[in-house]
Amino acid sequence: MTSSTPASFTTGTADGLPETEKNAGESENTYILRPIFQQRFRPSVVKECIHAVLKEELANAEYSPEEMPQLTKRLSETIKDKLKEMGFDRYKMVVQVVIGEQRGEGVFMAARCFWDADTDNYTCDVFMNDSLFCVVAAFGCFYY
Amino acid sequence: MDLPENKEPKPRDPDRDTKYRERPGERDGHPARDNPHGDRDREKQRERKKDARDRDKERHKEKSREQDTEKSHSKGKDRGDKDRDRRARREEPRQTAAHHNLLGRQPLDRAECRMGAVSKVRTEEKERRDEDPERGDEERERRYRERKLQYGDSKDNPLKYWLYKEEGEKRHRKQKEPDRERKHGEKSSTRERREKYPKGKSNSFPDKEGEERHKEKRHKEGFHFDEERRQSDMDKKERLLREDLKKRESKSSEHRRRGASSRRDPTSSREGPCALWYAENLVRNNEKDKDSRGKEVEKEDFDSESAGGDEYTACFEDDFEDYEDDFEVCDGDDDGSDELGAREKIEELPLARKKEIQEVQKAINAENERVSELSCRLAQKQGPLEGERALKTGANSSPARTPVCGIFVDFATASHREKSRTQALKQKMRSTRLLRLLDLDFSFTFSLLDLPPVNEYDMYIRNFGKKNTKQAYVQYNEDAVDRDVQTEEIETRGVWTQHPAEGATVSGGSGSGELRDVATAPKVDTPRLSSFLRAACQVIAVLLEEDRVGPEPGWSPGTQDGTLPVSDRSSQLNASLPFLQNRTVLCLCASQGQSQTVVSVHGLPGAPFAPALDGRYVLCVWDIWQPSGPQKVLICESKVTCCCFSPFKAFLLFAGTVHGSVVVWDLREDSGIHRYVKLGDCFWTFRTATFSTDGILTSVNHCSPVQAVEPVSTPVYRKQSFVLSPFSTQEEMSGLSFHVASLDESGVLNVWVVVELPKADIAGSVSDLGLIPGGRVKLVHSAVVRLSDGLSHTRFEFWGAMQTLNVKFLPSDPSHFIVGTDVGLISHGTRQDLKVSPKLYKPQQPGMRPVKVNVIDFSPFGEPVFLAGCSDGSIRLHQLTSERPVLQWDGSTDGHAVIGLHWSLTRPAVFLAQDDTSCIYVWDLLGSDLGPVAKQLISPDRLVAMTVVGEAEKANGSFLALVLARASGRVDVQYLKRTWAAPVADELRKLQLLLREAL
Repeated sequence: MTSSTPASFTTGTADGLPETEKNAGESENTYILRPIFQQRFRPSVVKECIHAVLKEELANAEYSPEEMPQLTKRLSETIKDKLKEMGFDRYKMVVQVVIGEQRGEGVFMAARCFWDADTDNYTCDVFMNDSLFCVVAAFGCFYY
Repeated sequence: MDLPENKEPKPRDPDRDTKYRERPGERDGHPARDNPHGDRDREKQRERKKDARDRDKERHKEKSREQDTEKSHSKGKDRGDKDRDRRARREEPRQTAAHHNLLGRQPLDRAECRMGAVSKVRTEEKERRDEDPERGDEERERRYRERKLQYGDSKDNPLKYWLYKEEGEKRHRKQKEPDRERKHGEKSSTRERREKYPKGKSNSFPDKEGEERHKEKRHKEGFHFDEERRQSDMDKKERLLREDLKKRESKSSEHRRRGASSRRDPTSSREGPCALWYAENLVRNNEKDKDSRGKEVEKEDFDSESAGGDEYTACFEDDFEDYEDDFEVCDGDDDGSDELGAREKIEELPLARKKEIQEVQKAINAENERVSELSCRLAQKQGPLEGERALKTGANSSPARTPVCGIFVDFATASHREKSRTQALKQKMRSTRLLRLLDLDFSFTFSLLDLPPVNEYDMYIRNFGKKNTKQAYVQYNEDAVDRDVQTEEIETRGVWTQHPAEGATVSGGSGSGELRDVATAPKVDTPRLSSFLRAACQVIAVLLEEDRVGPEPGWSPGTQDGTLPVSDRSSQLNASLPFLQNRTVLCLCASQGQSQTVVSVHGLPGAPFAPALDGRYVLCVWDIWQPSGPQKVLICESKVTCCCFSPFKAFLLFAGTVHGSVVVWDLREDSGIHRYVKLGDCFWTFRTATFSTDGILTSVNHCSPVQAVEPVSTPVYRKQSFVLSPFSTQEEMSGLSFHVASLDESGVLNVWVVVELPKADIAGSVSDLGLIPGGRVKLVHSAVVRLSDGLSHTRFEFWGAMQTLNVKFLPSDPSHFIVGTDVGLISHGTRQDLKVSPKLYKPQQPGMRPVKVNVIDFSPFGEPVFLAGCSDGSIRLHQLTSERPVLQWDGSTDGHAVIGLHWSLTRPAVFLAQDDTSCIYVWDLLGSDLGPVAKQLISPDRLVAMTVVGEAEKANGSFLALVLARASGRVDVQYLKRTWAAPVADELRKLQLLLREAL
């Protein structure tokens, strides 16, 4: 049994990093402890987005070890950019893309987060075809 | 702005302590801990590298610094000291480098000694270096202890790790403070501070305190804390002073910044080329007279330091002081409180994840190395030799050294780092503040993907067709290639039926039309129907026969001449059948139950007719209403001497033979098991006996000819079954519940039980010998009564063997029977051998006479009287209770033997007698008790046998008929005149009266 090593790439981005504390003399802070409701990280929406991207990008994809690193990077960037456009204000997005070959082996992936469960959330989407599987996990961490 | 510091010196101090302690820890990953000298080496190397560049500049600086220190003894001593310190370090390598190469490490001291007077700064530097190893050890210990303390408390919260890290970074920054303070003697309230305090003092008062003194103090440091404490008081005062100065400094420096070099502003672009930096240096050097200027320089230094990574070397600790000053300005109160808070947290920090920390340290060091390499490369451009050295020592080089290179090389990066550092700092502050507000927790584990392993078959199926294999076909019946179906589906349909058919639905199916298929068969009582049909057929057959007889009177000759004068009408049974030709009738027998059924026994034919039948006796069962032919034709091997029907219903015929066997025919048997003989144009079934005792039961069987066969049953007089009543309860009631008694000549009376087998065995039975294959009725011997014993041992033994001629059972009590003998006596007995009285019925004439009692007959009306006809022509009427007869008529037949005697079945007082001269006598006791009321001679065709059939219950249809068998073989039925047939009112009572009178 040969094991295909999944190629993965993770991008993180600081979205809307506030420069408010720049002023040295400022005594008031601008912390926002809870996101505006409309700007909350909504897993379903994000999942749709991810799914759309995966469907578009991986429709006819075949697993090839050489291309996968680039593909994961591209995918993660694409998804990250899309998520940024979705207006989750003050959210830091972490997008992780894992692509592995489908050869019949069992795969188990899990994630665990140390976060503020009130504000932060995650979603993941899986795309599979005959030759590969692609797991995308997007984590949204609120930047207070 | 300075107030917080003044207010809270102590809270901060512990921080510094820890930071300070931490610092060596960071370093100790490498030289500081492992090799105290390594530090020195590295320093030296670094210094060496710097040397070339620094030399000129340093000289400038040195001068200015010396001036500075002297000038600003009180006011700017910190700055001055710092400058000096830094300068000293830069200078020192220059001085020591040469020695170092030649002398190694030991010479350092010597060099130090030699150089002792050269400049305080240098000596200070050396002191510091010497100090380092010692301090390293001390600090290592301390740090270790502290870590234990810190992490021992709370290992649970990983958050604290990060806090710790942050704090660590802060500490890095702040560690510089202590260092600086060491030199300046400021802010020393804790032990460490105190430790360093002397140094700081020595630095701050270089003129006053010599090198020796420094050493001493260093020695004391570890041990004389009291002294240090005392000094700490002084420190505080000094610090106050210094902070005043700082205020002033900051103002002036800001002013200066704006004026002279905005580029140096940490926030503004510091990426100026080296040239600028030089220029700045120059400017700075110029400005160094002013104390405030020092700060500026320090900042520069700091920049360069930060460019070299997060290296916190003693040389640049000053810079942090500066930075912190700025920082304090920015943060104001928060800083102190934050630090306090942070510190508290630190103490709560989880148990040392030493590994993690070490990793962080490693990472930091790795970064340092990278930077140092970078700087080495840069240095290589300047001097390959130096570069080589740098490479060699790269791994060991302490982080403290690289910045020195960076000062010149990586200014742009340095400024960038500075920026990011401030940024990071801010973020750290942010995080610490936020973390107080927030509550982070671990999420549960999200399962992102759970892809179970595919089993082999699924894999095969998945890959099926992708490879070079192809599955052509699978066919069960392989050679039938033309069939493309693999397996034909079998059409099935569930149907059901039920037997016996009870209920409305007797069959159904789960097929297409379930409900439709459920046939609602009419409820048919099959046995009832069949019995009805049997009876109805009989009726119809009789009617048809009557129709046929009517128009063809010639067919029955007796219609004209056959009718006797005593009879109203007559009919003739068609005994002219081919197989009955030339056979004489041996006897006739009527059924008690079914009055119309008569059996005639035919003897052997006079002329041969058919070989199959010639040797056999033939019995014909007639229905007198259907005279055209016998109902059943039976054959028997041996001569039948007597016969009888089963009571109630004549479906069994018993016969006794001359061979002593008892034979049974089951008239219900299917004709299929019997022989078919085609005679003429119709088939006849000749039934052989169903059961015969021939050859079996020899121990009990009769050994002499059977004289009589009588059914023994419950009272037959009670109710006779109605002829055409198929629903007769008697049939069901009695069934076969009767015995058969057979009497032979020798006086053996056998009683047989009639047994009907539940199932016929067409293959024949092994155990039931004598049973015809397929037969169901057999006889089982029940009892034997030897009448001869009882009779002979009385007074007649001299007569020899007495013959028993016939037997009759008392209809009202079948256990009683009477037996006619050949001595004129009639014996009375019971089956149970009970004593009966009288034992014998005797004729009126006393004495023994050889008179055969030919016939005896019980009255069928329940009256306990019987008639006996004797061979001497006498007829006796006996009562059961008296020995002697009630009436005896001796001359009624003129001495001719009476061979037949029958009570009328319709009238209790009428009986019919027949003598051996073919005469028939009709007796009516009510009419005349002296002789017969009528006499009829049957001639010319002699009468051979007679029986009486009749039915009383038939409403005004009661008939009494004589069945007469003639010598010619003719059998006719004479219906007696109504006077003898129709009962008279109260006849039975009158008869009883008459009998009483006769007694």
